Amino acid sequence: MVNLEDLKKEARAVLEEGKVKYIIGYEKSANGMMPIPGFIKSPEEVEKLVWTPACIFNLAKFLVDEKRRKSREKKPDARPVGLVVKGCDSRALNVMLQEKFINRDDVFIIGVSCEETGVIDEKKLAKKLKGKKAEKIEFDEKDNFTVTTPEGKVKVAASEVLAERCLECKANSPVIYDVLLGEKGKRSVDNPYKSLEKIESLPQEERWKFWKEQLSKCIRCYACRSVCPMCYCDECVADTINFAVTADTTAEEKAQKIKWLEKSPLKSENFVYHLVRAIHLAGRCIDCGECERVCPLDIPIRFLNKKLEKDAKELFNYEAGFDPEQPSLVSSFKDEDPEDFIR
Amino acid sequence: MEKVLDKKSFPQWVKQLSSYTVYAPVQEDEVWNYEVITNPENIDLDFPNTVLSPKKIIFPQREVYLEFSTSNEDGLEVKEVLPEEGPSVIFGVRPCDARALTLTDKVFGGDFEDVYYWKRRNQAALVGLACLIPPSPNCFCLSVDGSPFSKEGLDVLMSDLGSKYFIEAFSKKGEELISIAKTLFKPATEKDKKELERNRAEAKKRISRQIQNIKKIPPMLKGMFDSPLWDEESMSCLRCGICTYLCPTCHCFDINDEILSSSPLQGKRVRTWDTCQFPDFTMHSSGHNPRQDKASRLRQRIMHKFQYFVERYKNYQCTGCGRCISRCPVGIDIIEVLDKVSRYEG
Amino acid sequence: MKDNTYIPKLAKIIQIKEEVGGARPIKTFRAQFIQDNDFSFKCGQCAMLSVFGRGESMISISSTPLIKDYLQFSILKMGRVTSSLHEMQEGDVIGIRGPYGNGFPMEKWKGKNLIFIGGGIGLAPIWSVLHTALGKKEEYGDSMLIYGARTSKDIVFKQELEELRKKIKVHLSVDVEEPGWEEFVGFVPLNVLEIKPSSKNAIAVTCGPPIMIKFVIQNLKALGFEDEQIYTTVENKMKCGIGKCGRCNIGLHYVCKDGPVYSWAELKNLPQEY
Repeated sequence: MVNLEDLKKEARAVLEEGKVKYIIGYEKSANGMMPIPGFIKSPEEVEKLVWTPACIFNLAKFLVDEKRRKSREKKPDARPVGLVVKGCDSRALNVMLQEKFINRDDVFIIGVSCEETGVIDEKKLAKKLKGKKAEKIEFDEKDNFTVTTPEGKVKVAASEVLAERCLECKANSPVIYDVLLGEKGKRSVDNPYKSLEKIESLPQEERWKFWKEQLSKCIRCYACRSVCPMCYCDECVADTINFAVTADTTAEEKAQKIKWLEKSPLKSENFVYHLVRAIHLAGRCIDCGECERVCPLDIPIRFLNKKLEKDAKELFNYEAGFDPEQPSLVSSFKDEDPEDFIR
Repeated sequence: MEKVLDKKSFPQWVKQLSSYTVYAPVQEDEVWNYEVITNPENIDLDFPNTVLSPKKIIFPQREVYLEFSTSNEDGLEVKEVLPEEGPSVIFGVRPCDARALTLTDKVFGGDFEDVYYWKRRNQAALVGLACLIPPSPNCFCLSVDGSPFSKEGLDVLMSDLGSKYFIEAFSKKGEELISIAKTLFKPATEKDKKELERNRAEAKKRISRQIQNIKKIPPMLKGMFDSPLWDEESMSCLRCGICTYLCPTCHCFDINDEILSSSPLQGKRVRTWDTCQFPDFTMHSSGHNPRQDKASRLRQRIMHKFQYFVERYKNYQCTGCGRCISRCPVGIDIIEVLDKVSRYEG
Repeated sequence: MKDNTYIPKLAKIIQIKEEVGGARPIKTFRAQFIQDNDFSFKCGQCAMLSVFGRGESMISISSTPLIKDYLQFSILKMGRVTSSLHEMQEGDVIGIRGPYGNGFPMEKWKGKNLIFIGGGIGLAPIWSVLHTALGKKEEYGDSMLIYGARTSKDIVFKQELEELRKKIKVHLSVDVEEPGWEEFVGFVPLNVLEIKPSSKNAIAVTCGPPIMIKFVIQNLKALGFEDEQIYTTVENKMKCGIGKCGRCNIGLHYVCKDGPVYSWAELKNLPQEY
């Protein structure tokens, strides 16, 4: 089991030595069991850090903001940012490194292993507790979590409340790190694409109907895009106005920007948004599951990305986020690549 | 008008309202949302709050303003497109959501009344459902001048008394709804009224969260425009639109032209929800953006709700539904932020 | 359709004049409503111009309300909608809805001397109030115009300015030296200091780039102008034009409805977010 005190010790040491600007980790929130992203700037603040099965967020996303902030400063602090990452989150860092979005010395990686378990799915836990409020949740021996409710402590089997992606996880321990807390090693998973089975078994018309129903719920709040660490483009296809505008951008350039989709949440526009995003993430998505977690309408967006992940593996033997040196999936080819689908 | 209605008779009441378009909360997977009810037998009022408030029926996410086309002889033609005629009734409106509509009424009324909003608003009758138990652990309606059984904005209020509902009507529209099925309703007895009072006293106690010192907040905010607090609180904000899209009082929108064909020109001018939290909301054509950073946008949301709106309309622009707290992807909590505001020194 | 302010009325463009060419072109459009209506406005008010299929743009009306047969707009080509407007020909049809905004409080200025200070395209909103004051000369004191642009090629209403010189004092300037230019060289705020307009019984109205306004106000105050004597117009991104969509919100105000005209006394109390 990962000891929280060890994590705090590492964080404190790194801050005391002045090695990092600040550390992004999971902070105790004043309201309930879920932590919040914490920005620890001094050794004293390290006490706020937590490590529980509710540490769901992918903190790699905040490197995107950090980069933006740095580019606006006149004399930026050149030190790296400390970042607490789980196995899946660390894969996001590898993709960022692969794409040269960040340099290795921009980030000091404090890796934390999920060991035999993982993180929870809030809804699954709520169902399991049948209305009792979860005030706190902790890792317990091997395959259990201990949940504190107003009526006392409850032991819950991890397999019943783990997030779907943890059940298909390929990297329960960080694959890139400066410091590693917890046991290394990959947990064996018999079927990493099990969650796709149900939907893949449906005939094409059923699948089309399913997605039409689901995507018509979308309100285009763009939370899925906002939370994804791989969606870091300054100007996104979904944006209808130019963001990268300077004093020298001509009126023609602004006027000629193509509007790929309307702002209206019509079925057609929602399809364009989600499918384009899924394709832009092909070979890049590392299945942190955040997109699905944040969706207020519970749209199973993860399936789209998972399916492309499966295709990437089966067609091209490509897995995102394990090797920062590998070329990107869609901008490279090998002679052995399958061609049977090219007409 | 005070009556009681047996819970078993409730679907009957809905059946009698066949001349209305009936909306009620419907569950799909784990999510509750207001949909048109086609089968009154399926109406179920045992729900926590919906994800999107009934604002989406009165102020839909997409509203067509007009259609334009160039026909050969007459040149450019512009045609107004109004919402469909026909009365509607919305069941299961929580008091916070109904109160929120009275706030958006202030914005869409006044000078230059918004024709589309008012057509839908005037056609709709709102039947509320009082909250015995807070629908969300983050409810705080009491702090913002609301209550779990407030009647503001409602035509009828239903309160759960176990095997029956206590029914109160406050307007002609409400009384009409009841008189359509008047045989189903019985007069309320003293016993009923006593039970109602008891329930309401209990309901108030169950609201666990509150904004401390809320009266201090508008004057405090006035002096906090340049405070570093906004930078700290917005560090984790992801600039999505969840807080504002789910908020029952938020009303910002965008107007765009959607072209169906360019030659001959044919298209629609459409209004869609927008949010001050998107970075392009205030961006000028020149690229100048008065709210370029997250801190200024979080500040805008908080100050608009708890200072500007108060100065202009004498009401907090928040009814304590708690949706923004429950669904923020990074746990930004408006009650926590306001707490820090009320304790701010500097 | 009568009470729905969102529906624009159709107007035909009867005249297009190129004021400034080059990379930042400015054209002046005159538009006439196709069907008779009772459109009437105050100086300083704006209208939402529609290019159907592209969008809308809030432009200040630069003609004086004393002229009834057309509305005049001077438009700088900046983005999507304004580019479409610049591609239009005389005879093309646009939509106009409005008038929106609070307009200049000219009733408060009766008998006072009016000092108009403009920069670049900022002369357009001033043009309306300047000509209204000239049209009712007996009601106001002396008028003066201080106007400058980046180069002499960027000066708008060139011909009209020459006509204007015969009626009131007109002080022009360009930002940098240029062969053949004999008037003031330097930024408009500096020209204001040079000319030293008297603050006694006077109102100053200034429009232009935000940075110019900032320094003009500073210099006017140095010359003794009180906050209530200085007026300006604020620009912000607008969509509905009627104080509902929230885009132009500053403090408790909606610039499209409670502005765009503000005295410095009012404006300095609003958050500086525009």
